[in-house]
Amino acid sequence: MNLLELKNISKIYGDVKALQNINLSVGQGEWIAIMGPSGSGKTTMMNIIGCMDKPSIGSVILDGTDISKESSKKLTALRRDKIGLIFQQFHLINYLTALENVMAAQYYHSIQDEKEALEALSRVGLADRAKHLPSQLSGGEQQRVCIARALINYPMLILADEPTGNLDEANEAIVLDIFKSLHKEGSAIVVVTHDPEVAQESERTVILEHGKISKIKDNNKSEALC
Amino acid sequence: MKMKRYAFYLKMVTSSLIRRRSRMFVALLAVAVGATILSGLITIYYDIPRQMGKEFRSYGANLIFIPSEDKSYMDADSLKKAVSYLSPDDIVGVTPYRYKTVKINEQPFMAAGADLAQAAKTSPFWYVSGRWPQKEGEALIGQEVADIIRLNAGSQFFITGMTANNKPFKRGFTVSGIVQTGGSEEAFIFMSLADFENMAGGDNAIDIAECSVSVSAAELDRVSKIINENVEGVTARPVKRISESEGTVLKKLQSLVYLVTVVILLLTMICVATTMMAAVAERRREIGLKKALGATNAAIVAEFIGEDVFLGIFGGLLGAAFGFVFAQAVSINVFARSITFQPLLAPITVFASIIITAAACFIPVRRAAEIDPAIVLRGE
Amino acid sequence: MFFRMVKGALLRQKAKMAMIAFTVALGASLATAMINVMLDAGDKVNRELKTYGANINVIPKGASLLNDIYGVGEGSGVSDKYLKESELGNIKTIFWAFNIVDFAPYLETPAKLKNGSAINLAGTWFSHHLELPTGESLDTGMISMKKWWDVQGQWLSDGDTDELMAGTAFARQNNLKIGDRIDIISVNKTYSFKVKGIFNSGSQEDLRAYVPLAKAQEMSGRNGLVSRVEVSALTTPDNELSRRAAQNPNSLSIKEWETWYCTAYVSAICYQIDEVMTDSVSKPIRQVAQSEGAILEKTELLMLLITILSLAGAALGISNLVTASVMERSSEIGLLKAMGAYDIHISLLVLTEIAITGMIGAAAGYFAGIGFAQIIGRSVFDSAINIKPAVIPLVAFLVFVVIIAGSIPAIRFLLALKPAEVLHGR
Repeated sequence: MNLLELKNISKIYGDVKALQNINLSVGQGEWIAIMGPSGSGKTTMMNIIGCMDKPSIGSVILDGTDISKESSKKLTALRRDKIGLIFQQFHLINYLTALENVMAAQYYHSIQDEKEALEALSRVGLADRAKHLPSQLSGGEQQRVCIARALINYPMLILADEPTGNLDEANEAIVLDIFKSLHKEGSAIVVVTHDPEVAQESERTVILEHGKISKIKDNNKSEALC
Repeated sequence: MKMKRYAFYLKMVTSSLIRRRSRMFVALLAVAVGATILSGLITIYYDIPRQMGKEFRSYGANLIFIPSEDKSYMDADSLKKAVSYLSPDDIVGVTPYRYKTVKINEQPFMAAGADLAQAAKTSPFWYVSGRWPQKEGEALIGQEVADIIRLNAGSQFFITGMTANNKPFKRGFTVSGIVQTGGSEEAFIFMSLADFENMAGGDNAIDIAECSVSVSAAELDRVSKIINENVEGVTARPVKRISESEGTVLKKLQSLVYLVTVVILLLTMICVATTMMAAVAERRREIGLKKALGATNAAIVAEFIGEDVFLGIFGGLLGAAFGFVFAQAVSINVFARSITFQPLLAPITVFASIIITAAACFIPVRRAAEIDPAIVLRGE
Repeated sequence: MFFRMVKGALLRQKAKMAMIAFTVALGASLATAMINVMLDAGDKVNRELKTYGANINVIPKGASLLNDIYGVGEGSGVSDKYLKESELGNIKTIFWAFNIVDFAPYLETPAKLKNGSAINLAGTWFSHHLELPTGESLDTGMISMKKWWDVQGQWLSDGDTDELMAGTAFARQNNLKIGDRIDIISVNKTYSFKVKGIFNSGSQEDLRAYVPLAKAQEMSGRNGLVSRVEVSALTTPDNELSRRAAQNPNSLSIKEWETWYCTAYVSAICYQIDEVMTDSVSKPIRQVAQSEGAILEKTELLMLLITILSLAGAALGISNLVTASVMERSSEIGLLKAMGAYDIHISLLVLTEIAITGMIGAAAGYFAGIGFAQIIGRSVFDSAINIKPAVIPLVAFLVFVVIIAGSIPAIRFLLALKPAEVLHGR
């Protein structure tokens, strides 16, 4: 069974069709990149995959649950349990330390465990920065805290929105390395990005144009037309 | 090691308070100002009848004791007994008076023996040019007497008359001062009770006693009734003009302060509420993030309420303290008297502050929590 | 461009600006209401204090004051000096005529009962309609002067000729009930009166009986004469100047004299009454006049302090919100700085926005404040609060100062920000 299945979904805001008839499935442990120019519907698609929005038409099945029929309360619970979010702007809570930011995700999920949170931080190489506030961390470090936070509840799917958009090359490499090892361990990853180099690392690249999937590229083999 | 859930909750709340110091200070200030106004005004409101009541005593006696109808005078003991029915804290002064018609240069006048130290308290409106009698043989004369027999402060005069036992007497007095009241007292000659007894004889016999008590008209009526039933030979009569009018004016004053208090409190609460709302609006992005991390609406509301409870407690405590200081300053400036601290007011202020801050946040937080996290995270 | 930015900020951040305007409006309404109430409270309380009765006694020159309070009436009999009834209207024409609330004339009438015992009988106005030389008219008399009296039966009216009002003590002594008749002999003629009302005044007046003034004049044969007048006037608390003037008005310099004459001191009003009534001496009844002064002073001081408190509260509330809402805009301002805006531009931009919003709020608040003041006036004193236009500039000034004072710390905070920090996360 696929982890995530988008079945013929459309999202319409007034007269604007942000997404039209999208069909996509993501298997367990698969790494997918979504690319496309601005306004192509990337954000809308990411919101729908991340259970932060519902499609106007069609159904979204996440781990066997059709989220397009659930209440917003249920969506919150699904997001909490199954998805780890990584943002371009990192979005850390500025009055909590790196460690506490990771623990906040545990807090909303279930029980917080400081040791586990520390392990997550050391995994992204930030064990020694655990007691620092976001304002005392560099951009790359903040992004790594954000990743540690996304990992802490063992999500089935990691959803990253331009994770390297605000980072320099060195930090980009670190983040990509973390993604690679996560992929190796069997996490499913969906990355929304502008950067072909980042997309190149994934197994499949989905290219969006004007709210439609124009192309799906298999990065290990040759191009396949949709 | 595993942490208890509420422990992390507390940690988040306190971190938010401490690490966002400058913002929280603004909110705390708003709460503290609101609480100061609340506790200050309530203290003043409750203290006004007491303070103003004392002020109204400058109108003089509001209760007089006269002999019962079948008697011509009261004895000092029954007067003492009558006075004992009044609470000593409320009594401003009790002045016993004795009267006798006497003659100066063969012209008739009214001489009054009085406890002059008390008279100065029961009749604070007397205007004395010169001074009150202090030594034996000194007398305070009314303006009218002074005009008729042309006396000044320091002048000597002789009083003649008949004692209680019908023996003639003649005694010399020195004018210590001249009293103006605009009333009938201006036709009297006042002297100490001791001088009066030496001159006219008759011990412990009192014609009338004026009493100035700071209690309400209703209470005065009630006490009078009790005295009239229980003390023989003394009739207590409230001076209606004073007691009733005092009631009317005090009621108006209190309702004035009451309304003003309500208006100020209302506006202050709204001010506190708008400040809190602004503080919430500022944190919409944070709310969106927490939602994206999987926080339920209830968890977000609980965090804000937690912060507000802390703000309410600290702001309320500060406010209770400053409010007392303020009320004290008002009381000392206006009435030259200090007020007693109402211990109950502190918890009430703190409680009210918590309720107001929490209520002020509840609606905007609820609204913010309903927002789609996606919009908040993406749209800057 | 500057104004386009201001306009944009005002119109596109409607909710935020509305909140600032709303808070400013609240503060301004509070200030308006409190200042107006404070300025008028003295006057209102002064009127309330009139329930204490007259504070000025007018008697003929050379006449002795009153029968004494405790009824031991020797030494001050009924004198043969009188005031003219026809001159009473003049009291309402003096410089401080507006401050004369009520007055009532009295004519003590020698009278006795059939058994020969003397009684205290006086004629007075109950509710007398008076046409003034100025063309105005007023109704005055005992009914409005002695509001604290507890009356059983009814008040007399000035037209009654064979009815009287008796004090409780008078009625008890003579075994009178409402509706009973009593025969009174005055100057060898016997008059029969029906008791229309019995009053309890809680004072020596309870020993008296009252008839209409005209009747008393007829009985005693003193047409057009009164023996004294009680006046109830709104006065200003005494100070050093008025005390010196009360001793001797001639001791004042011309300037001091003018100040005194044109201030509603009780001594000045007495002086002015003496000017319009032939051979009269007006004396302040110190018990009332003095105490009124004390209470008025306290009330005004109290209101002043409460007003200061509420203004301080409003000021802090407004500046708090302004501070909070300016700080909130750190990222926008960081961007402006990054784009090369000078500090002065940013400060002006923020100040202009806030000032425009604040002034709109203040205008709305002013009118709301007048409403609040009237609610207070109506419910406490049953009369409208006198709205003083001088409050407008005062409130405008206060609001302006508060807004600026509230913005400055926030603006300083914003200017201290480094644009890079603001734009790259917090």
